[in-house]
Amino acid sequence: MSYYQYPFPSCPDSVSRTFLLTCSIYLLLFASLVFLNADLLGLVLPILVFLLYGWWSAPKDGGLYVRRRFSSERLTVGEPVEVSVSIINNGSHLNEALIEDLIPVGLSLISGSPRHVISLVTGEEFIFRYRLRGNRGACAMGSLKVTTTDPLGLFPRSYLLGTAGNLIVFPRVLPLGRIAIRPRRTRLYAGSIPARVGGTGLEFFGVRDFQPGDPPRVINWRASVRRSSGLPEGNLAANTRNVNLKLISNQYLQERVADVGIVLDGRELSNWMAGESLFEKSVMASASLADAFLKLGNRVGLLVYGQYLDWTPPAYGKLQRERILQSLARARLGSSSVFAGLDGISTRMFPAESQIVLVSPLVNEDWSILVRLRSHAYQVLVLSPDPLAFEYSHLRRSAELDVALRMARLERKLLIRKLERAGIHVIEWDVSKPFEQVVQSQLMRYRPVGSQGYIP
Amino acid sequence: MTVIFLITHIVLDAAALAWGYRSAGFPSVSLGSLAFGALWLIAAWRKLRWAASIALFATVVAAGLGVLVGVPPGWMLAATLFALIAWDLTRFRERLTLAYFEDDLAGLERRHLLRLSVLAMTALLLSSIPMVITLKISFEWILLLALVSAIGIAQIVRWIKLSK
Repeated sequence: MSYYQYPFPSCPDSVSRTFLLTCSIYLLLFASLVFLNADLLGLVLPILVFLLYGWWSAPKDGGLYVRRRFSSERLTVGEPVEVSVSIINNGSHLNEALIEDLIPVGLSLISGSPRHVISLVTGEEFIFRYRLRGNRGACAMGSLKVTTTDPLGLFPRSYLLGTAGNLIVFPRVLPLGRIAIRPRRTRLYAGSIPARVGGTGLEFFGVRDFQPGDPPRVINWRASVRRSSGLPEGNLAANTRNVNLKLISNQYLQERVADVGIVLDGRELSNWMAGESLFEKSVMASASLADAFLKLGNRVGLLVYGQYLDWTPPAYGKLQRERILQSLARARLGSSSVFAGLDGISTRMFPAESQIVLVSPLVNEDWSILVRLRSHAYQVLVLSPDPLAFEYSHLRRSAELDVALRMARLERKLLIRKLERAGIHVIEWDVSKPFEQVVQSQLMRYRPVGSQGYIP
Repeated sequence: MTVIFLITHIVLDAAALAWGYRSAGFPSVSLGSLAFGALWLIAAWRKLRWAASIALFATVVAAGLGVLVGVPPGWMLAATLFALIAWDLTRFRERLTLAYFEDDLAGLERRHLLRLSVLAMTALLLSSIPMVITLKISFEWILLLALVSAIGIAQIVRWIKLSK
């Protein structure tokens, strides 16, 4: 672990303290000269002794080293982390030192203290521990402020002692079961999404002539009998000489992996309402969905759409899960005139005819963009945290508010109906209910939506 | 422990000033000194950070004036010393409030008070010497003191400019 040290401006209080003593000394000296009174010089001596002692015992620079350790550098929201800070004094004796570990914004103290007043002799080590809890995000804990001073506090000196320490707080990932999606195009590898190709699988696809090598269990005997000729009625063993048996085999939908692009809406205009933000809920939902899709072997990409586009290209596996979670940990709400609408979503980012999952509270203007995506043969699923229920829960109840809510509800229903007519599956999520409950009830089985969304 | 020492030294400072002025025949100033001590105690109770510095400076001015008007210098010296200790303890108490309860507060307090006591004794001894031994200062010494004072005033002006 690397250490570095750089000076920090002395605090102004130190100047005022030494300044006060010096002023007092000169005042008495001046008065003794003006009034030619030697007794006044006697009053100077105690002040002078204090000042000289402070100057003599002032701590020398350097020699203080710090090492910070975390019980874990990767956390989830709400998970505590223990920070252990070790300070070693390789310099001169420190009579009084104030140690303050600077906690970055986004982390909050649970127990212990990041601030201590200590006395360290040469070669002594002081260790202190405290526990933190973090909000989602990446935090760099780089500095520890040390203020050393002489015993009288006349010549304090402050330093920032830095040591590398990064904490990343990931959003919560809820375990979701199977999520039923059916994009038009799948990839070559075996997975869990029914492709439009016959082969081995679970769901019935069609029938074809029996081919050598087909296992007996795939023979469709009923269809075979219907297609065969010369079968005697009654006792089959009686006469089988003229039988022309034509075997028919069942075909099943092949199950393959697919491309899934998750778009997280980070626009302030759609997420910020009644002084509160729905964004954290959207982030948690995106993380859970990404995790579920990746666990099923799909190729998943993530686009955080806010002040700018944060694009994580599609890939498979645990490494991609890590990339997506890191991107979600850094995701912030933002406003930008360029990305005020969803028209900044480029179809080049997502493979043709793949699945797009948009996590957004939705605004009316998003309708045209989503329909455009649908027209490019993407299978679009919208998971929409309900902004009306969320805002309503944060406002004071009144008759006017109820009327406004009803009107807004009608407007939103109209938007969702228009989207569903275009073949876009919209799941409304009242954020007061658990996310996994909503997903399990609506996404465990595939539900065709509208004429364009139906897969024959 | 620090608080007890702090209160004691504020009381001793005010008492030394009051006794000195009273013995020199200034009862009203003596009462004023006691009122000053009470105000300092209230400021310490209210944890007014700036009050200790003002009180120290006021004590130094009062002690200087006292010496000039004929108050016995021993009392004025004692008042200055007690004010210095109280001023330092105010800062130390403030510093201890920043500490965590598991820190070695008792050890810090003990070492600080011991160091302060030794320092006060040294200062008292050194200050008593000129009261006992009276030296005749020559003109050259007065010139040197004037030069040192001029340099000091220039330094103060420079500090003020820098602080602005």
